[in-house]
Amino acid sequence: MDTSKIELLDKVRKVIAEVLNVSLEEIVPGFSFGDIPQWDSMGHMEVMLALEEGFGVAVNADTIGELVSLPIIVEHISKSGHV
Amino acid sequence: MSNNTLEFSPSTPIPAHLVSQVQSKLAYVDESITAAHVAETGDQITLQLRAPLNKVAAASLNSKIQIVVEMMTKGSFQPKVEVLEDYRDTPVPYDRDPMDELVASGEVSEEETGVFTFGPLFSRLVDYFESRFLELAASFGAQPYRFPTLMSARMLDRVDYFRAFPHSLTFATHLRADLDVINKFAEQASYEDGGLNASSDSFSRVKAVLSPAVCYHLYFSLADRPLPAENMIVTGVGNCFRYESTNLTSLERLWNFTMREVIFIGSKDFVLEQRELAREFMRPIFEELGFAYHVESANDPFFIGEFRKQAAFQNAFQLKYEVRARLPFKDDTLAIGSYNYHQDFFGRNLNITLSDGSPIHTGCAAFGLERTVFAFLSQYGLDQNDWPEVVKEALS
Repeated sequence: MDTSKIELLDKVRKVIAEVLNVSLEEIVPGFSFGDIPQWDSMGHMEVMLALEEGFGVAVNADTIGELVSLPIIVEHISKSGHV
Repeated sequence: MSNNTLEFSPSTPIPAHLVSQVQSKLAYVDESITAAHVAETGDQITLQLRAPLNKVAAASLNSKIQIVVEMMTKGSFQPKVEVLEDYRDTPVPYDRDPMDELVASGEVSEEETGVFTFGPLFSRLVDYFESRFLELAASFGAQPYRFPTLMSARMLDRVDYFRAFPHSLTFATHLRADLDVINKFAEQASYEDGGLNASSDSFSRVKAVLSPAVCYHLYFSLADRPLPAENMIVTGVGNCFRYESTNLTSLERLWNFTMREVIFIGSKDFVLEQRELAREFMRPIFEELGFAYHVESANDPFFIGEFRKQAAFQNAFQLKYEVRARLPFKDDTLAIGSYNYHQDFFGRNLNITLSDGSPIHTGCAAFGLERTVFAFLSQYGLDQNDWPEVVKEALS
């Protein structure tokens, strides 16, 4: 993983930890929807809105359904250029 | 415009896909509202009121309306509508509202707003359609369960029901076990001014509500232990209660209705497969019954604060599909059933696990019996000569 992606991963981890109100250590690299009780349906929508605000991710039926893990989120943001 | 009518322009235009959802929620904004209408264009709200309001009250109402509109529309997006079956063009012989005839013939009698008694023809149709839904249950070898009408408030709290659907709850209570309270009630209670005249401190704290759904009972009965089998398929019927305020009109929305459900519990793949099998099983039955209907993605009627996020989540993950029958008399459709997938929501919140320790996934096929009959009569009328042969024969 290149430096920019590692930086992006750290940024996204911080956002998710803050939104879900958990420690950064809990957001491990393969972290996914449903891994902890806080990342439930409502938590997921909070994560999506934070990604919209922080990284310009479009929130719609497709992205809500697809962006369900840390690696996928990082990949999506990386590809869309909203870093 | 009469003095009992108020018109507002929402500060945020209401997108077309939210017009009916916002309109239904306006019934809960203020007790002065007797009816609410949102223009299809989304830029005009018209309220019918019990009595004219002074300027201060009207401004206060306007403020509440704007909050509702903003909470439901801000950040919303166009849902992805997926149509899985489309038989809307099925020709049907009737195009009037059957309600007048049902009332005139004594087949339907309204005991209280949204609470109806049904006569022999309507009841036989309920039994017949339920027997068709039971064919679905039998096809899965579903085990029969009986569920109570009351539902534990303590358990509903565990599944966050009070935040998602507070507006439609109906509470069960009783007099406090205190001789003075009971005697005073017996001496003084009467029905006046549209309600029971009794002191609110006569009543006990709420431990139960009238069931808003059927399948929850099954999940509650399985809470805090491993699922006793790899999977379960259960069927049950029950009275359901959803208070819908001024939306309680005709037989389209009842305060008290009956739902037959087939409930699936197991792994994600198991539940999703059964849900799809259920839909495929019902398709030829709805066709045989002559229904003009379609099946499309939908969302539950979440309350205002939770609506945007929950509805978006349901839509994105395709958790709910509704069977919507045409109502020719109003050029609209009515949900008569649904195919639902709850992911592992109940498994996580109620601590029910599979043998590998992961939370169970759940789903159900649910059919509203009174609504099914109402939709049928809206399409075929009360004259049995006009009914599809299979229904005619079954009731002869």
